[in-house]
Amino acid sequence: MLILEHISKTYGNKNEKAVDDISFEVYPGEIFGFVGPNGAGKTTTIKMIVSLLAPNSGKITINGIDNQADILGAKKQFSYVPDNPELFEKIKGIEYLKFMADVYQVPAAERQERIERYLDIFEIKNAVNDPIGSFSHGMKQKLALVGALIHDPQLFILDEPMVGLDPKASFELKKIMREHCDRGRSVFFSTHVLDVAEKICDRIAIIKKGKLIEVGTMAEIREKAGSQESLENIFLELTE
Amino acid sequence: MKEIITLTKLFINESLGVSLFFYNQKYNKKEFYKQLFTLIIVPVALIPAFFMYVSLMSATYFGLTLINQTSVFLSIGYILATVLIIVFGVMYILSEFYFSDNIEELIPLPISQRKLIISKFLSILVFEYIFAAFIFIPILIIYGIGQGMGLLYGLLSFLVFLTIPVLPLSLMTAVIMLIMQSASLKGRKDMLQIVFVFIGIAVIFTVQFWFTSQLGSGDEADFQLLMNTILTNNEGLLNSIGYLMPTSFLMAWTLNKITLISLGWVASLLGITLLSCVLMVAIGNRVYLKSIVSGKIIKKGKQLSGAQRSKVLGKKSHGAMAIFTMDLRLLLRTPVYFFNNVSVVIIAPLCILLSVSFIEIPPEDLQGMQEFFRAMPILMNFLLIAFFIFFGGTSATTASTFSREGKASWLTRMIPVTARDQIVGRTGVAMFIQSLGIVFTIIAVQFIFPLPLSTLVITSILGILGSLPILLFGLFLDMNRPLLNWDNPQKAVKNNLNVVITLFVGMAYTGLLIGVSGLLGYFVNPILGYVIFVLISAIFCVVFYQLINRRLEAEFLNFES
Ligand SMILES: Nc1ncnc2c1ncn2[C@@H]1O[C@H](COP(=O)(O)OP(=O)(O)OP(=O)(O)O)[C@@H](O)[C@H]1O
Ligand SMILES: [Mg+2]
Repeated sequence: MLILEHISKTYGNKNEKAVDDISFEVYPGEIFGFVGPNGAGKTTTIKMIVSLLAPNSGKITINGIDNQADILGAKKQFSYVPDNPELFEKIKGIEYLKFMADVYQVPAAERQERIERYLDIFEIKNAVNDPIGSFSHGMKQKLALVGALIHDPQLFILDEPMVGLDPKASFELKKIMREHCDRGRSVFFSTHVLDVAEKICDRIAIIKKGKLIEVGTMAEIREKAGSQESLENIFLELTE
Repeated sequence: MKEIITLTKLFINESLGVSLFFYNQKYNKKEFYKQLFTLIIVPVALIPAFFMYVSLMSATYFGLTLINQTSVFLSIGYILATVLIIVFGVMYILSEFYFSDNIEELIPLPISQRKLIISKFLSILVFEYIFAAFIFIPILIIYGIGQGMGLLYGLLSFLVFLTIPVLPLSLMTAVIMLIMQSASLKGRKDMLQIVFVFIGIAVIFTVQFWFTSQLGSGDEADFQLLMNTILTNNEGLLNSIGYLMPTSFLMAWTLNKITLISLGWVASLLGITLLSCVLMVAIGNRVYLKSIVSGKIIKKGKQLSGAQRSKVLGKKSHGAMAIFTMDLRLLLRTPVYFFNNVSVVIIAPLCILLSVSFIEIPPEDLQGMQEFFRAMPILMNFLLIAFFIFFGGTSATTASTFSREGKASWLTRMIPVTARDQIVGRTGVAMFIQSLGIVFTIIAVQFIFPLPLSTLVITSILGILGSLPILLFGLFLDMNRPLLNWDNPQKAVKNNLNVVITLFVGMAYTGLLIGVSGLLGYFVNPILGYVIFVLISAIFCVVFYQLINRRLEAEFLNFES
């Protein structure tokens, strides 16, 4: 579903790689967790996947489409919710949702059905006619989630989705992620909440200072670390 | 005083991005050279425009000497400068006083409201002095040389010049503060505030035009007569507006003939100016911060029923249409954007309309003018086309289209919209606004003399076509160097050099295009003129369209680095 091959990225300072030769694959039907300390390069990696940044080297393939050769084709395969979704403050929630449905060319019946369902789940139905500027942080995040789910993407990419969501919403989001994968699609998300990663992810990648230090299922990671401890303890040891 | 100077410097720094410039010099060389380049290229681009203005004014002066009316020359310049300062000043006042985020940071600090107002006003004034210098100093010099004036004229005209931007700006600031006060206290939405401000401006313009229309040749006897008529006709009106705009007479009396009394006139001009500043600060001290604090509430919409939601969502629109709608909504709903990009299409036709209704042209003159233009339709057509291109080009709407999205631009770059749809949607918004300007202008012009339908069709089509290359050029610039990292929407348009470059390149291009095709049309064959016009426009359109279409998706990847 998603293949990264030898991806590297440097920002201004040429000697310091934000992402350093990363390769991994996300299979269809799996939830893939991406964990690592602050500044490890998670957001940078995600931005390269969603075509907000160009990698210095390497290749990214999304659902069989090279995202540098066919940018537009690749964009149609995923949807993305950033860690801090900045949305147009002057636009109303419902106008934003219509915009998203239009740009992904979602048929009328499907868009209505999906939007109604997700608005109910995230409990923002009553706010949907207000300008986004009047939304709280969590409400903005929920709206961005609804907008991202409108076109039922093959690959659902989220950066720190649990931060700022209330317990009910983050429970519902986990359920949605699971259902999404049960239909053969994939979810790729970064997180600092290691319990969540441990519980819901089929596979996990750990990144540190731009380098991938571990990829695999929870069992594989435990085996390599030679301990039966929680992901939290392994993470703390590995990222020492 | 020290505090005021510090604050003023801070505001100027903020609106020019001086600190960022020096930060870039140290840490971001590429960005620094870009800025340095524009810093050099903009003044260079200005030179021909300025030269054209000076020669136009010299010609006007020469024309006036022929009919022995040089005494109105200074008045014309004064009014021109005042009107321009008001038109551009409104934007500056609103964004500096009301739509800039620094207020929220400054309110908690122990700075008195008065100092805040004065320093904000001064920071605007600095720019307006530069602006006024370009407009008014050539006029003063032309007149001075033409009349063989001496040293005293130089001194007096310098004093007059000092008052030029201060008076209209302080009065505008006071008016805007009062309007915003009444608008914000009732929890109005942004758009309504704008409407209020426009009404206020319309009143000012009415007053201005009314006075200048009564001015006649501008000499003393007429003014006495005028005062008498006003006094006998409408006392209330005199009280409210009589003291508002007589300054153009004061200016004329000071400078037209240099006598000892001139000193008295200039002293009263300075006095009035000072008074209006005091008035502005006094008003501001009562209302300014109060309305800022109460104006921060965002009005919520009505709750929608399921049927209403599905009505909104049910219609499927094309990608280009979605981009168009989003861009237009942002433009109309963000006050600063509205003022920068939309207001001119309302104000300019309004000026035409007001000048027509207040300057009474004798019927036989009007008929003469109509016959003149009817005899040479090509002249009239190219004049109108130039005016229409002005709406499309000068607002430079496309030159900030990505910049205006700021930190939310990730959305634009993440969604799968083709470059073609982006171009069509975004250029479409600019063309839509331009079309409004064209329609308003046509309506206003109909009052002076009705134009045949064929003229209207030709000029509208060519006006839009002619500005399309400028719009695409602006889009091309903004694609290459968007200004996204702002915390205050005014920076996206005010500090955006893309806008400035598009403006000057657009003006120079329009001048050349109209010049070449107009001359060919006039001297060779009208059809040839139009054909050349269409040809040049079409070529530039295709070139820029292709450039953007090929590069846009790839450039989106560079927005953040
Ligand atoms: N725009 C930028 N310009 C320069 N350096 C950047 C930029 N964005 C990120 N970096 C650097 O790249 C590195 C990786 O940052 P990134 O945002 O990818 O980390 P992260 O893993 O998402 O961290 P967090 O958990 O805090 O979100 C950091 O060293 C950061 O300083
Ligand atoms: Mg991050």
